[in-house]
Amino acid sequence: MTNAQDIIARNVLWNRLISVCEEQANALMRAAFGAIVREAGDLSAGVFNARGDMLAQAVTGTPGHVNTMAASVRAMLAFVPAETLSPGDALVTNDPWIGAGHVFDFVVVTPAFVNGEIVGYLASTSHIVDVGGRGWSAEGRSVFEEGVTIPVMRLRKGGALNEDLLNIVTANSRVPHEARGDILSLLTSNDTGVSRLTDLMREYDLEDLSGMTRFIFESSAQGTKAALSRAPRGVYENRLTLDGYDAAIELRAKMTIGDGRIDVDLAGSSPVADRGINCPLNYSVAYASFGIKALLAPEIPNNQASLDAISVSAPPGLVVSAERPSPVTARHVIGQALPDLMLGCLEQALPGEVLAESSGALWTIALSGAGKTAFTSLNVALGGMGARPHSDGLSTTAFPSGVGAVPVEAAEVAAPVIYHSKEFAPDTGGAGKQRGGLAQRIEIGSRLGEDLSLSAAAFERLTTGPAGRQGGLSGAKGQVKITDGTQITDKGIYRIPAGARLILQTPGGGGFGEPAKRDRDAVARDLSEGLISQEAAERLYQKEIKEREKRK
Amino acid sequence: MLRLAIDIGGTFTDVVAETPEGLTSVKVLTSAQAPEVAALDGVDRLLHSLSKTHAEITGVVHGTTLATNALIERRGAKTALVTTAGFRDVLGMRTEKRFEQYALDIEMPEPLVPRPLRLGLAERILADGSVSIAPTEQDIDSLAARLRAQEVEAVAIGFLHSYKNPAHEVFVAERLRTQLGNDVTLCLSSEVAGEIREYERFSTVCANAYVRPLMSRYLGRLLSQLQDRGFDGSFLMMLSDGALTTLDQATRFPIRLVEGGPAGGVALAAHVAREVGSDKTLSLDIGGTTAKICFIEKGQPQTSRRFEVARAWRDVKGSGLPVRVPTVELVEIGAGGGSIANIDTLGRLKVGPKSASSEPGPAAYNRGGEDATITDAHVTVGNIASDGFAGGIIALAPERAPDAIARQIQNPLGMDAVEPAAAGIIELADETMANAARVHGVELGLDVSSFDLLVSGGGGGLHGARIADKLGIKRIIVPQNAGVGSAVGFLRSPVAFESAISEVEPLEEINAQLLRTRVEETLAYVRDIVAEAVPPDEIESSIKLELRYSGQGLEIPLSLPDPERFEEGFKNLAARFEERYLALVGFTLENISIELVSVSVGARERKATGPSDVPGAVTEDSQPSQRDIYDLNARRALTYRVIERAAINGHASRGPAVVSEAQTTTLVRPGWSVRRVGQGHLIMERAGG
Repeated sequence: MTNAQDIIARNVLWNRLISVCEEQANALMRAAFGAIVREAGDLSAGVFNARGDMLAQAVTGTPGHVNTMAASVRAMLAFVPAETLSPGDALVTNDPWIGAGHVFDFVVVTPAFVNGEIVGYLASTSHIVDVGGRGWSAEGRSVFEEGVTIPVMRLRKGGALNEDLLNIVTANSRVPHEARGDILSLLTSNDTGVSRLTDLMREYDLEDLSGMTRFIFESSAQGTKAALSRAPRGVYENRLTLDGYDAAIELRAKMTIGDGRIDVDLAGSSPVADRGINCPLNYSVAYASFGIKALLAPEIPNNQASLDAISVSAPPGLVVSAERPSPVTARHVIGQALPDLMLGCLEQALPGEVLAESSGALWTIALSGAGKTAFTSLNVALGGMGARPHSDGLSTTAFPSGVGAVPVEAAEVAAPVIYHSKEFAPDTGGAGKQRGGLAQRIEIGSRLGEDLSLSAAAFERLTTGPAGRQGGLSGAKGQVKITDGTQITDKGIYRIPAGARLILQTPGGGGFGEPAKRDRDAVARDLSEGLISQEAAERLYQKEIKEREKRK
Repeated sequence: MLRLAIDIGGTFTDVVAETPEGLTSVKVLTSAQAPEVAALDGVDRLLHSLSKTHAEITGVVHGTTLATNALIERRGAKTALVTTAGFRDVLGMRTEKRFEQYALDIEMPEPLVPRPLRLGLAERILADGSVSIAPTEQDIDSLAARLRAQEVEAVAIGFLHSYKNPAHEVFVAERLRTQLGNDVTLCLSSEVAGEIREYERFSTVCANAYVRPLMSRYLGRLLSQLQDRGFDGSFLMMLSDGALTTLDQATRFPIRLVEGGPAGGVALAAHVAREVGSDKTLSLDIGGTTAKICFIEKGQPQTSRRFEVARAWRDVKGSGLPVRVPTVELVEIGAGGGSIANIDTLGRLKVGPKSASSEPGPAAYNRGGEDATITDAHVTVGNIASDGFAGGIIALAPERAPDAIARQIQNPLGMDAVEPAAAGIIELADETMANAARVHGVELGLDVSSFDLLVSGGGGGLHGARIADKLGIKRIIVPQNAGVGSAVGFLRSPVAFESAISEVEPLEEINAQLLRTRVEETLAYVRDIVAEAVPPDEIESSIKLELRYSGQGLEIPLSLPDPERFEEGFKNLAARFEERYLALVGFTLENISIELVSVSVGARERKATGPSDVPGAVTEDSQPSQRDIYDLNARRALTYRVIERAAINGHASRGPAVVSEAQTTTLVRPGWSVRRVGQGHLIMERAGG
């Protein structure tokens, strides 16, 4: 006989576990330093069982953190065995290969004890504004230049904070007090989570989480299998070319869709680059899985079982599987291109059901003072999202990242820069039955009439625009220039002389379906809104225009 | 004294009259095309039943969802936005963020002002308020010509950094006024929502301009027709933050009216909290489709300036139009009586947010609804008696409830009986509401367990005790007439007005004297507004600040004493901030400056409602009837005594008991006791707590 109370309790508990994580993530987000981190929700929180398997995770957060964290806890326990942990202990690391792919991301793991036994773990991760090294740029030739790495160790032992460790972090950071605050936030966030977890175990009279684990994993495995089975079995290949640091990078994928599971091999992708746009495999796995999951199984919560149904592998030493000591600061340039690579495979399995390519990696605008006044200003410039099978792509909206832009007023209050304009760039959305999302054009200069320094690390898709699908055309490629005549072509550091301005135009999203099939009212509307030019309307949607003129 | 409250909702218009003898009400169908028709009809009927005339009305208090509906249905004025050249797409770009990470098909709301009507003007004010480019009269005049040619009815003016220096907005408005005449509505972003963050500010001023012509015409008609009938009393409008304001202000800032209806419900809860002397109150209103949560401290509802209207995608947070006006901070949860329980694709039991609403309604309504709802679960476990449900308006078919639950929940989950399945649905609903309260408490930095729970709505009394258990709450308030609507709340609201100053600067760099001057100016402005309806000696003022560590997003609200002691209070701010921060986060930070983010200045009518502890009528239990209710913890049915509210006295009566009333049922679960206080409200307390 099935025990009715247990069935109900499990259902209630699953909800509660997710709510506990959500609560932690929200608290972290508010306490985080750095506008970008807050806008992005560049953080995550999760509950793990005693074996270190992830049971639940906050919905808040970027895919990069959400999916890397699942593996972090077990990886950390490999360094500090569970049996050596005592109440009041907490572990920490920012190792890119154990945490979330670059040294900026700190992971803190805290064991939860009940009756002297570890019943589970709370983990949280967040982006710390600065940990030394070269700061935010792709200029490092190795991870050693990118900041201080903290190997897995105790951040707290038996309730006593490891001040030595914190001193090492603060001594290496340009913003030491903020860095300390962010790390302490992770610790207190976990502590609250631990007490929530033990409270609920008491409320439901649970000795351990094994019954919960079984229920969550069995349900999730079945649900994921059913969802993935929508895609026909087969082997599908795709490739995508990125600008790279100063030479093109090719990404390749071979996707095998099997019986309710998907295995991806990234073999054949370019070898590691000598600058910091390389991606550790954990971060590649995170974004590749995200692309697959968003299309096929968006409603299934993240946990060990639902993530296990998708595997992503690559031989070591590629740009998608960089090993220590390759530089990895701007790993999102590669990582965030992977969802489009995956969607291109799935397009072959499910033709007509997949959105077109999007602008991809976030364009980080990293400006700093190069004259008398020292400052840094970090913002993002977002391009267009690919057109969807049933609707136009979203304009100036990040995908796959979930980051929003810092408002112009806030950016100008925070640093002596002036945004001279920030508007949609017409004719940048890929033409199609559904139009790709529009890019934007931003013009920035110094408020003080001083030189500025710019890291171009994340300006990607300057040579080819995001591709369309089902006959849709590509979105416009990005363009970056300085008004003194400099054209930005690689990911290096550029100087914007006093009086000159930086002009950015992000990439537009790819179109979906043949332009000739676009609804004529939609074309007319785009025209009247100034989102496409008269010339483009005639050239790309000519048939429609002529038809309309005939009717007049 | 004869005061009237008029609450115009999407479906019904409620009119409530308050006389020294008590409250009388009438409900009529809303006349959507001309809402004043139904309102005036309701007033006529109510006056008739009271044998009173319009001339005897001393005051009218009015709340309406008309502005909200105009925004949702896009029935507002043809509106243009005049903005800084180079930034006409602020409205179209929004925050550039996806509000749902995994959904690829999300849609954003259409801006209220289409791109061709978003016009750039060469002008620029910098972050420090200094002028970089001044607008020329020639440019403004040619802009006016375009606006005239487009025949716009309303113009919103929103320039960058106008929260810091509104001079350009004011100058352009004055020039446009002379060019466009008085028939075109002009609204300035610095006046409507003078806060930093261009998207939210522009969105707010556009929404205000968009609904203002419609609202001012409507309010003009309503008032003049009341006056034609002989009315010459005061006329006040319900604002979104649970306060009242004058008609003149309401007409200038109609966007501040959008949440007036729900705010009325919260205002009533706040009033009851003041009556029973509850300083920290969590209001939980469980209706037919959703439950609403609001924290109330010292009788004042929590308000914020983060609100959005007209959500465009599955009612998801982030998919609406932001409006930065003071609004009661309500969290709405898809768990009401009609919320449907189902098994999702993972085999999990889920409750809501989909609702059977009132049509077809829960299975037990027998109006064609086949889905198992929370109400059906209550019927199945015995929480709701089948006779006299909802005051006898709805005749239940109780046997349909367990059938639906067996079919849709018990059998798919392989459970051995229907009662535990039903109890499970209720438990999950309780869990969902408790989680929402806990997460919202964390967001506000409040410790939920130190609050009293005030339950209202049809389902409040049924869920209260279990939710309180989950949250560690020890006292529950069940108001008299817990099912009564917002209109009564209008009558209990104070006249008040609030205005914000954006001032992002480190505390140590702020000149306290200069700030005091700005605060005093703003205070004089808001007091003048309140003084239009309230004698000056009954007005109290408040100065609320938000502070944070520079670079962090965690903004902590603190209040300051009146301007006379401003500098002194200002000096202590840093210490008070650190104390609050420590309590909230567990540590403080060193060498990071504390900055002021915003100052909000308010004036409010003093409402004295002291606690009353007069015990109610002492009546012995007259009818010792009993009811069996299935209990999930006990794993069997427990016997509850059924008692009438009137039979409860000032002495605690122990659970398990059911208090059965026309509109609501209150469960006094095992471990809880109940007593009645002077105004008729019930107080439930945890035994031994």
